[in-house]
Amino acid sequence: MSPTVLTSKDLASVRGWRHTIGAAGADITLRFDGGVLRGGEVRGVLNRLSYLPPSWLTLFSLADRDYAGQEMHAFYLSWLHSLAAPKLNPPTPQGLCGNVRHPSAWASLAARAGLPVRRFRQSSDDDPEALWLTTPNLSARTVIAVGAEVIGPRDLVGPYRSACLRLAKSSGCPLLGIDFALDIDGAWRMTTASVTPELTRGGEALVDALATALAA
Amino acid sequence: MILLGGIPSESPLVLLAEALDALCVPYRLFNQRKCADCSISLDVGADGVSGALQLHGESFDLCGVDAIYFRLMDDRLLPELEDEPNASPARRHSRALHDTLYRWLEVTDARVVNRSDPQGSNSSKPYQAQLIASYGLRVPETLITNDPAEVLAFRQTHGSIIYKSMSSVRSIVKKLDDKDIARLESVRSCPVQFQALVPGNDVRVHVVARDVHATEIVSDVTDYRYARQQGGSATLRAINLPEDIARRCIALTAGLDLVFAGIDLRIGPDGEATCFEVNPSPAFSFYQANTDQPIATSLARYLAGAL
Repeated sequence: MSPTVLTSKDLASVRGWRHTIGAAGADITLRFDGGVLRGGEVRGVLNRLSYLPPSWLTLFSLADRDYAGQEMHAFYLSWLHSLAAPKLNPPTPQGLCGNVRHPSAWASLAARAGLPVRRFRQSSDDDPEALWLTTPNLSARTVIAVGAEVIGPRDLVGPYRSACLRLAKSSGCPLLGIDFALDIDGAWRMTTASVTPELTRGGEALVDALATALAA
Repeated sequence: MILLGGIPSESPLVLLAEALDALCVPYRLFNQRKCADCSISLDVGADGVSGALQLHGESFDLCGVDAIYFRLMDDRLLPELEDEPNASPARRHSRALHDTLYRWLEVTDARVVNRSDPQGSNSSKPYQAQLIASYGLRVPETLITNDPAEVLAFRQTHGSIIYKSMSSVRSIVKKLDDKDIARLESVRSCPVQFQALVPGNDVRVHVVARDVHATEIVSDVTDYRYARQQGGSATLRAINLPEDIARRCIALTAGLDLVFAGIDLRIGPDGEATCFEVNPSPAFSFYQANTDQPIATSLARYLAGAL
């Protein structure tokens, strides 16, 4: 079965939207230049949609752009949620492809999941915007939790496999990139997580794990 | 320690403070308008969440805060900052203080009414409707489309229909009339949400953990919240909900990870409840003032750990 790839450009060119909710459940049909997508026919979703198609927003005047953007975001959240098939990741109000959490929230969730975490500090003297930025770290390594599998460097997957799966579950992200870095004491500690991890470095093992999770 | 936060003169905060006083439960208030004399430090690690809060001249250990009720206004719009340039030290301090407070609310073990993330479902009405339906409450038959022909067919099926925004912006409900039909082509640029008009009586249900306060609203306009602006009226009275509906409201509130919710129902002639939305930050004072329902007392008891 070959997958349907819907890019941001495809979504911006959708001509017909029909989304229903009611006693019969929820459904979505969208008609675009390349064909028709019916929600009931979708068997699995690899969801990498971080933002609304920017080109669509340019159709609106500046006065209406913010409102139109909020309406469309609300709509995308709903129709993506209505797809009953496994979703990697399901949409949330905090991110169309998963909850894009603040570093403080990732640190707290990861600690509760049993991962060693790099201490996070914030105060009313800090610039809140700067806290979202991650400093490049040459020692950083990523493991990827997908479904019931954890893919990544053996020295991290070995000891932290269960904790990574717990973090993926508690975060509501069946596909989650979890970053570790060497701390000043030489220990590996979790630094942040991503709902859109880089997939190309995962090799065949990751492809197999994705296929298994999407078919679950 | 119980911490309240917001504008001290705002009605919900006034009522809650009075309810805590009546129960002889001590609390402290973060007055947003005096945020210049507050500061906070937050620390998250393997050993949990810790930090310190300086609040109008007093110091507190964050671990000593047992419960929090925040009803904060957008800190960028505080009157005290009106004349401050964008990057002024006062504005930077206010933004950094509020951001850190919000981060703390999301990770603290304290009882929080309500945390930010769970409030997000209200930003998409159709998304929230799907969550509501999963808790056994009926939701209005809904069509979202950018095709005028689909709208006309939907109207043909359901008779009277209404339209309203999907997000939480410009969220006024309006009946689709002939004037709207004449400009239906404009839906082509952006999908619009239409719903079958649901017959019955409006009921606002405030849930605080397991406490339920139901208020029936009798109004002569489509959206009673705007009755006065639309030249109509609205009358409120306390009612007892059927037990199974109350149970579903409690389950829905908990299922959305909320402690406090304002649930908008319409009870139909068949006695079944249709749920329109769940408000995660309800301005309950309007309902309490009109019915004497002890909503603030329920909140106070929850914050005090007695509910």
